[in-house]
This record gives sequence, structure tokens and C-alpha cells, in this order.
Amino acid sequence: MGLFEAAWVIARRDFVATVYSRSFILFLLVPLIVFSAAMGTGYMAQRNDRSAAQPVVALIADSATVEALGWARARLVAGTAEQSLPPLRPVAPAENVRAQAARLLADEQDGYSAVLSGTLERPVLTGPPGVEDGLGAQLQLVIDMARRDAAFAAAGGAPPRTEIRRVVTAEAAGNLKRIRRNIAQTAQTIIFGVTVMLATLLLSNLAEEKSNKVIEVLAAAVPLDSVFLGKLLAMLGISMVGMALWSGTLGLLYLFVQALQDWMALPDAAPAVGWPAFLLLVLVYYSANYMLLGALFLGIGGQASNIREIQTLSMPVTLLQVFVFLLAMSAVGGDGGAMMWTAYILPFSSPLAMVAHAAQHASPWPHLAALAWQALWVVLIIRASSRLFRATVLKSSPGGAFFSLASLLGRKPG
Amino acid sequence: MSGVLAIEARGLFKSFDGKPAVRGIDIAVPEGSIYGILGPNGAGKTTTLRMLLGIIEPDQGSRSLLGHARPLEVARIVGYLPEERGLYPAMATREAIAFMGALRGLPLEVGRKRAEILLRENGLGDYVDKPIRSLSKGMAQTIQLFGTIIHKPRLVVLDEPFSGLDAINQGRLEHLIREEAASGTTVIFSTHVISHAERLCERIAIIADGRIRFEGLVAEARDRLRPQVRLRTRAEDGAWRGALPDDAHPRNGFWEFELPGEGVEPLLKALIDGGAGIEELSIERPGLHDAFVAIAGEAAAREMEQDSRAESEAAA
Repeated sequence: MGLFEAAWVIARRDFVATVYSRSFILFLLVPLIVFSAAMGTGYMAQRNDRSAAQPVVALIADSATVEALGWARARLVAGTAEQSLPPLRPVAPAENVRAQAARLLADEQDGYSAVLSGTLERPVLTGPPGVEDGLGAQLQLVIDMARRDAAFAAAGGAPPRTEIRRVVTAEAAGNLKRIRRNIAQTAQTIIFGVTVMLATLLLSNLAEEKSNKVIEVLAAAVPLDSVFLGKLLAMLGISMVGMALWSGTLGLLYLFVQALQDWMALPDAAPAVGWPAFLLLVLVYYSANYMLLGALFLGIGGQASNIREIQTLSMPVTLLQVFVFLLAMSAVGGDGGAMMWTAYILPFSSPLAMVAHAAQHASPWPHLAALAWQALWVVLIIRASSRLFRATVLKSSPGGAFFSLASLLGRKPG
Repeated sequence: MSGVLAIEARGLFKSFDGKPAVRGIDIAVPEGSIYGILGPNGAGKTTTLRMLLGIIEPDQGSRSLLGHARPLEVARIVGYLPEERGLYPAMATREAIAFMGALRGLPLEVGRKRAEILLRENGLGDYVDKPIRSLSKGMAQTIQLFGTIIHKPRLVVLDEPFSGLDAINQGRLEHLIREEAASGTTVIFSTHVISHAERLCERIAIIADGRIRFEGLVAEARDRLRPQVRLRTRAEDGAWRGALPDDAHPRNGFWEFELPGEGVEPLLKALIDGGAGIEELSIERPGLHDAFVAIAGEAAAREMEQDSRAESEAAA
């Protein structure tokens, strides 16, 4: 049998065995659970962080001043963000304001960062050293706005509103660049996330054959290269089923949310190569990334003789993936430096870097070169892994040339 | 049996971590024959078979399988049952057999149909869809054997096929091997149970310490020893004593000795003429066990017996 025919037999068996196993349901559910949990905890953490991390200023003033400052702050945050200005919490003035301010700053429960007292004309900011730099500058804006409003009110008018004439264009280069960077990073993160999830499965993929002694039956019937390739293809197919389900679920979720409220509008901007080509390239580079790392992990995992060794191998393998991910991130909005080129050329980071390239650059030709380069490395790693397996696990000299087109096609030499 | 060789190996040598496991094995297995490789555990039988099949490469020497130097080239027409049985526990029996056929190029659908027929014909029809893990060890071994022959190979290689089987399953397996051979398939198997080889094989190789001690017909191995004569006479002494060869020795009221090269007639004549008064005379052809002892040595034979006994106990 030829390499691909044999690989297909192995892949089909592995695919069916996995898809029809109970653990596959768990495999499908885990990312959805993790995603939901991450969204939930992320939201909660953000909320807590927002309230916990923002400095709060105690405002000791009469009600008119409190109201004027409150209005001024509200107008300023409407044009910026809630977090851009400290919240002002009114406190009824005591007889000795100075002592009251000191007391408020010492109160751990309320946790004030500064105390603003006095009037709009003579405001007083009490706080630790440096309070005048950060909080002081922010409060200055609020006070100035309140004083301007008060001045206009005293004159019997309102501050004139400047009308800005709007000229709408298709897209601004700066925005487009930013959105495409976001698209690139999102695509990289998705590919990285799914591959990380599969890494342990790949490491332990040959363990079943080794423990069941099936490897002997396989090695006697088909080339070891096809065993490795078949296992990779099966896992790729399994991950594709997973991705289809996960993306389908997320798509439905998005449509559901859209139907309820229009807060999750997708950006109008498209990746540089266009959405259809980009989605295709994401799929292709995911496959390339998976095959490259998968072949390596399968080779490494094939050396392990038990689950304990596989678990030990998981940590360095995950670190390797993180390193590759970080390197590939340098290709997002890269300046053409050595790091970016390393990310493009290094086989393991190349697929992730090229996804970022597809999001940001329109030319299709680099992708053909990159895919050919990555395919070559997949072949080399599978070949090296299977020879290593033959030498160390089967205790045999590798036998035959490192690369033979005839054996690849299943033809007899000569 | 044709004169064409199904397997030919010359000077196979293999060492693991610098320790020689097989030292210059020569084997010639004629097509259509049943060929046994005999030897105690650790003699190098499995290593030899794995080299013949290309699972491991020899350090030295050459081998050809059905005329091909690279065994994988003829994988479609070879079946192999490894010593350590390998099946996926969650797979249904029919699927397991069909998968093993598919590995040898048999379309999956054809494999499934043949598997079902094989299972039903052998009284395992109820287990067609049962997972391997639910079968007994003997049944699982039978399933793997079916997987070995499902694609109708020209050459079947069985490594210790009787190991772990009870007497009934051993008998079934012997029957199956004979059937395969009758259909023209070459069968080569390794064993440390001499009786299996004696009953089944035309040719054998005796291996000990990684070396071939004998390779040829079973009859040739037995012919290495002269037939044994047991004689009881009425006369205690007389001229007839001169007819006994030098190695003749008394045991339990009998004289025991190897039949002289001239044959039985001159011996009989001399005994009668010498007035021995023959009460009882038997001539026994030596069995393969005796031949094995003579060829491989007493120690190797003892090891074989111990292996065999341990295995029988395990199977029981």
C-alpha cells in the first residue's frame, strides 16, 4: 500500500474510534465550557477591577458645588470614558474640614484616594504626595468645566456648542490598521488555543498502540510514516469537527444576541485578503500549524513509555507553543525587523505569522511560498519522528533513505 | 509444495544494546509448506520473525519475502500474528478483523463480510458486534488470528500462536493452520512446544542462543538419531551377547541400544543364532524431542519444557 492509502486506513480507524467514544462529547464541550467560564469570569473580574482599581475622591462641599461638579464630570465622561475621571463621592462637611479630610483618608473601609473640599473658586485637594499630578490634573478638568458652566449661568446663558461638519469616508487607514491587527491577533489566538488543547492528545496518541501492542501489527503491515500521518490526519479531522461545532455554536449565540440587542456589530473592515480568502487561509494555516506541531508532538510522545512520562512532557511542550505564539505575534503590525522575519521563516511559527500577514497584507503569493515551506517541514518532521520511533521504540536501524519519492507513492524502486 | 522459496534469509544478525540476539540465521521456507521455528524463550525466534517481516532491520545479512527484499512491498499478501497480541479493546470484533484486513489492502466492506462469515463458521457469531474487551483471552487471540488471514495471504507468519490457548483452542488452531496450508498458503510459526511442530511441520529450524542448530525436514532431524532397540531375552548369557553393539546397556530387565547401521535383519539373525531366546523386541523411531535434545542440548530442551509448563499453567 502507498503511504497515503495506508495513512487513510489508520486515520479512518482513529477518527471513528474517537468520534464514537464518550470522551469525544467531553472534548466538544470543554472549549464551550471554558469559553463561557472565561467570558463570565472576565466580565466579573473587569467589573470588580473597574470599581476596585479606580481611585475615589471624597467631595466635602455644599450641595450647589456638589451638583455643579457632578454635572461637569458627567459631561466630560460622556465624551471619554467612565474610567477617565475619578468618581466624586459627596460627604457632608464637618466643623473642622481639615480634620475631617484626614479622617476620611485614614478610613480603610471607604478607601478614598484624595479629598476635594472648598468651593469652585477656592478648591482644596488633600491627599498623599503626588496627588496633584494624576488626580489633581483630572479634577482640574472637572473644576474648570464646572466654573465655566457657572460663569455662563451667572451671565444668563449657556456655553455655545461648536457644530462640527462631518464628512464620512469609507474607512480611515488608522482604524483599518487597528481592526486588521485585531483580526490578526484573534485568528492567531484561536489557532493557538485549539492547538494547545490538542497537544496533550497528540502526545498520548501513540500510547494506545504501544500499550495494546497494536504498533507491532501496524509496523508489519504499513510504513511507520503512514501511521504517523494517519494519526495526524485523524486528529485534524476530529479538531475540524470540533471547530465546526464550536464556531457554529458561537455563530448562533451571536445571532441570538444580535436579535436581542445590537451591541455586538462586527466591524465593517475586512482583512486585507478579504473575508472569504482570509477564512480559507485561517483554516489552511490552522491545518499547517496543527500538522507541524502535531508531527513534532507525536514524535516526542511516541518516545514516552507511560502516562507519567507524557504528563512530564506536557509542560515543556506547552511552553514551546507559548514561545511560538509570542514569536508569531511579532508579525502582527510588524515593522519588517529580524523578529518578524524569524516568525515567518521558523516552521513552527510560520503558520501563525502568515495568518497575521493575511489579515494585514493583500498579496496572495507569499502564502503559496509559505504553505510549500510548511508542507516540506511537515514531511521532514513526520519522517524524522517515524525514524526515531523505529530506532528507539522498535529497536531497529531506520532502514532506507531518509526521503524516497518511490516509497512515498508506494512504488517499488527500480 | 513447490520448489520456490517463500522466505529466504542469509546470515541475519541482530544485537540490542550491544548484546547479540540473533547470530547469523539462515532460513529457507518453501512456498506452500508449514515451517516451524523451535527454540526456548529468548533463543531469538521473535527477533528472527520481526526481521523477516521488516519490523526491524537486521544489522547484517539479507532476507527476501516472496521474492522481495523489502517486506512491506508484499504486505498485502502476508499475514502476521505477533507474539504480544495487539487489538484495540473498544473495537467490535468484526471491525477489528476488517481493520486488520484493511491494513493489508482489503476493502473494508469485503473485510466486514468475510469477518462475519469467519466468526459465524467458528461458532463466534454472537460476538460479531461485541467489543474486544468483552472477549476471553483465547477468543481475542482467535479474533486476531482471523485478522491475520482475512485478506487471504500467501504467507502467514505466526509468532508463538499456541501460547496462552487451552487444549481445545490449540486443536482448533492446528486445524486452521492445516487448512491454510492445504489452500496453498505458506505458514511459518515459532513455538517452544515441540509437539506442535512435530504434528504440523514439514520443515523446522531449531534455534538456541540466537543460532540455527538445525534447519531441514522434521524427518531429517529425527534421522540424526538411530532408532532405539529394547530387547528382553530368556538367556542371560551366550553367544548372542556378541551381536549387541558397544552402547547396549541393561535397564529394567531390558537391553537398550541404538539399532546398528546394518539394520534389523542381521541383528535378529545373530540373536536367534546365538540362542538369545527373544521374549520381547521393540524398535522405536526417535521423536522430535529426542532429536531436539541431541541437536540443541539438554539445557535448551529443559528450558523449553519449563516454558511450556509455565504456559500451560497460565492457560489453565
